[in-house]
Amino acid sequence: MREYDRGSINIFRPRGKSMKQETKVIMMVLTGWLLGIVGSQAVVFFLEHTQQGAPLSQWTFFNLRVPFWLTGQFLPLWFIIQCVVFNVWMDRHAARDLDGTLRFRVPASTDREA
Amino acid sequence: MGESTVKLLPIAIVAGMFALFIISGLRTRKHQVSEYGFAGGYTGRVGIGAAIASNWMSAASFLGLAGMFYLKGYFATAYVVGWTGGYVLLLVLMATQIRRFGKYTAPDFVGFRYESETARTLAAVISIIIAVIYSVAQFRGIGLMVSWLFDIDYIPAVIIGASLLVSFVVVSGALGTARNQKLQYFVLITTFILPLMLLTRKLGYFWLLPQFGYGAAISDLQQQFGFVWSQPFTSESLFAWFALCFSLMFGTAGLPHVLSRFYMVPGIRDARWGVVWGLFFIALIYWSAPAYGVLARLFEARQGIPFNPADLGTADMVVLSAALNGGLPLWVTGFLVAGGMSAAFSTVAGLMLTGSASFSYDIYPRLIRPGASETDKVYAAKGFFLLLAIAALLLAVQTTSMMIAEIAALAFALAGNTIFPAFLLGIWWGRANAAGVIAGMLAGVAITFAPLVIGSAVPIIHLLFPVTSSAFIGAPVVIVIMIAVSLLTAPPSVEISSFLSRSVHDCPEE
Repeated sequence: MREYDRGSINIFRPRGKSMKQETKVIMMVLTGWLLGIVGSQAVVFFLEHTQQGAPLSQWTFFNLRVPFWLTGQFLPLWFIIQCVVFNVWMDRHAARDLDGTLRFRVPASTDREA
Repeated sequence: MGESTVKLLPIAIVAGMFALFIISGLRTRKHQVSEYGFAGGYTGRVGIGAAIASNWMSAASFLGLAGMFYLKGYFATAYVVGWTGGYVLLLVLMATQIRRFGKYTAPDFVGFRYESETARTLAAVISIIIAVIYSVAQFRGIGLMVSWLFDIDYIPAVIIGASLLVSFVVVSGALGTARNQKLQYFVLITTFILPLMLLTRKLGYFWLLPQFGYGAAISDLQQQFGFVWSQPFTSESLFAWFALCFSLMFGTAGLPHVLSRFYMVPGIRDARWGVVWGLFFIALIYWSAPAYGVLARLFEARQGIPFNPADLGTADMVVLSAALNGGLPLWVTGFLVAGGMSAAFSTVAGLMLTGSASFSYDIYPRLIRPGASETDKVYAAKGFFLLLAIAALLLAVQTTSMMIAEIAALAFALAGNTIFPAFLLGIWWGRANAAGVIAGMLAGVAITFAPLVIGSAVPIIHLLFPVTSSAFIGAPVVIVIMIAVSLLTAPPSVEISSFLSRSVHDCPEE
């Protein structure tokens, strides 16, 4: 491996304590995110297209059939939960490493941005 | 739908709402530093979230999503998941890191990170194209609403709506009003949810939380009228659902005007928690939108109106048709239109201003008139704003088989195929260089428009890269191209590599 490549940033080869911890929690959140999306659709497919799932697909939850509730209501809530988990971890991680301040304090909005 | 007359009361409500925005904006201008302020300065993470949600909500969310549910049933959940799940990507992969770069816009970031004026210019051009496509969707929504308000045909309605939009932006700019996005979100959520509550109450469903109450309407549709939306993954495949969902998520994480939100608050923690609140406020709308599609269909079934899956105009207006067919007072429908117009206007105004700023800052002084003064740039921005509006207008009046949400999805696909990979690799892979990002973005543009241009002649392109969902496979392809080209060409400078290590990722030098 070339010298440059060994030293450059790579999410799959994090360097330093801060980046390693950060990428670890990022990977955990993204795993949960992906599992939620793919897993929910796998469940929906099972419910709608298999004999075993057919009776279950007629169940309702909060008045909605399970496939609609799972995808249309639960998944957005799942995303919110993941974001909260990530933020709580980042707040604690930032406090431990005194990383609460930005190196680049950006000024207030300019007219360029609408 | 509705009487064949000019709807004076709804017009008055819409005009009153915009007057309220201008008056509030004048008050806000006097007090605030950041545009998220309501009565001056910092308003907390909830306020930031409301501003993010207000900026996000467009005609696609307000009108288009309900229309997709009306037409396509379960398949439309891909829009809900795509437009919310993308915020997870944005938060964990980009929010903190983008702020540490200290660059305000997508072209700024690309130009700085990849040390390339060519890449910056390309990013600016792509941002402008995204703005135009997204605006076409909004103009379509504006045209449909103006058409209903004034009882005129679609094309003159689009022209009138575009004129009103430009006038509103010019007047707001001349008066120096600031956008009061907290107020805008309050208007959006109120005008969307309250009529829905009234409708579900009229039908005898659980009206306090219509997001749950409409489930009974789906059952009634099936039992009383034999109307069943197709089973999940029958009319549209599982691949199509995933393709649309992931394309929208990648696009969400790559939209220029969404990314720039993270610069507008003082602290990074506020930015991160603001995203969470913004996601919650956005989800409130998306949990509610399917109800309009279901209730609209129920009312039509009760009146013996047959379901016509080819009638895109009716589908895009189901939010209004549900209110009208449900017998709600005209003033309630007026509030719905006011909310929809607010959503569309604010989105188009933001996109057009961002696009014209990209032109005047990233293209005009570099390619057209080097050495242009600040005054020249201001005039260039104003002139380009009008050009953008005309371009979007000319496209919006064309006959199309795409609905509002689908046109918006095309913009998302372009962002997902170009800006998203550029940011992702720019932040998380130090070896990504100018040649890689230029090759990647050009490939992304080709992937996005190939199905439109040659899709009918080359069916495999349409299969792998559906028009509204090309980023599902497109984004990974572009990432691979960026990696390959970057590895075959010279690495970035030591300076940018050090910056990325020290300042963005807080890593020790090796």
